[in-house]
Amino acid sequence: MNFKESPFMYLIAAGVISFVLAQSAFFLVKAWKQGKKIGIDTKVMRDTISSSSLFTIAPAIAIVATVLTLAYSLGFILPWIRLSVIGNITYEATAAEAALNAFDANLSQPIDNVKTFAAIAWVMTIGSVFPLIIMPIFLKRLQGKVGVAANKNAKWTDAMSAAAFIGLISAFIARSVAGAGKRDVVGDGAGVLSVITLAVSIASMMLLRWICVKFRLVRLEPFAMPAAMLSGMAAAMLFARILPESIAFLEWRG
Amino acid sequence: MKKTYYDKVHLWGRISSVTALFVMLSVPLFICLRYDAWPPIQGVIKGLAAVLPLYWATAVIEVVCYAPMLGAGGMYLSFVTGNISNLKLPCALSAMESSKVKPNTEEGEIITTIAVATSAIVTTIIIAAGVVLFTPILPCITEKDSVFAPAFQQVLPALFGAIGAGYFVKHWKISVLPIIIGIVILLAAPSTAVGLLIPFTVVVSLAGAHIMYKKGIL
Repeated sequence: MNFKESPFMYLIAAGVISFVLAQSAFFLVKAWKQGKKIGIDTKVMRDTISSSSLFTIAPAIAIVATVLTLAYSLGFILPWIRLSVIGNITYEATAAEAALNAFDANLSQPIDNVKTFAAIAWVMTIGSVFPLIIMPIFLKRLQGKVGVAANKNAKWTDAMSAAAFIGLISAFIARSVAGAGKRDVVGDGAGVLSVITLAVSIASMMLLRWICVKFRLVRLEPFAMPAAMLSGMAAAMLFARILPESIAFLEWRG
Repeated sequence: MKKTYYDKVHLWGRISSVTALFVMLSVPLFICLRYDAWPPIQGVIKGLAAVLPLYWATAVIEVVCYAPMLGAGGMYLSFVTGNISNLKLPCALSAMESSKVKPNTEEGEIITTIAVATSAIVTTIIIAAGVVLFTPILPCITEKDSVFAPAFQQVLPALFGAIGAGYFVKHWKISVLPIIIGIVILLAAPSTAVGLLIPFTVVVSLAGAHIMYKKGIL
């Protein structure tokens, strides 16, 4: 019996995905209506939808790739469900591997025991649900405090918001420059390609913004960021082809 | 007293988060019920012991760190649909930057919600389409020797390079310290996960910005 890809599993996936789509559509419509009510230009909101869609395509394809990575062991449906709700690329693989290890198995072998499969589903789910417990309790209070602090001193608030963003982005930048990856995963650690991608991405963004400002191409501004990101990814493909393999795939941090 | 938009968002968010919690827990429960397959509790506990302390601690840190940036609607949506640091957060930051709105304002709240909701819908559709339609060809795109493989391996540097550029130009004085600290931490402990690195770089960045603000450098 192929319990991993049975019609029953498809049915569960359809239910979960319908919920995610309904929730997102609900918030989108409510935000759109409120935006119109407080006078945000419809064009700005439409551009946000276009650029966000464009921005999402490449990372979403990367998520599909993660589904495929997990599919060999777990089938397509469970990783599909888990990566559509709460899951993320790094978390799901690690949680699945931890659960499999508890049953003396690993991701490089297909699971044919339904009890093991159910155990993995429990571990992946319970491991990831904590935000859904703490947010309904604490988020409003937390954001209220942030709001009070924001109103007290606008200049410091601007600097603080920027600093928080920059702190977060810095962690990823640092990892691309000096982080160690898993030894058996090519491209996971910092190396020639990660630094080239990062540099091209930053340079492309600066160039595109300069072009938008210089030639007053306001309509193109929302697309500068997705275009810069795709330029970085294209550079990774290009340099992987033209550089000798020993240099292109050199990872100094493992 | 009339409810504000924020009050309503929190109400919708609370209802949808609790619903999502039950929807998620129903997945393993239905698997157990349908196949009459109840796994040994020790195995589940052993698996959870390996991931729970880190993931639940990270969840607290993420909720605190992302709350000022994603807004209420963006937070509730992001934490249900997942893929926050690699997708929803960059998407929201990019949208605010392009729309020239600030976090912690109603405009910022609206734009981040629209961005995160759009991203969630597109992601869900792409993953579903990818699984159902492109399963036969996706291995060719993503397999180790594919010409596209290096691009997908470098999604995160590409994403955060593009996002960071705007901030680094505008706030270069704030940017230098957290990047250096992040690199120094990784030089000392190269395997530090990004989730653990983020609190350090965020605190350093905030502390550095506060000192510069107090000294009138910003």
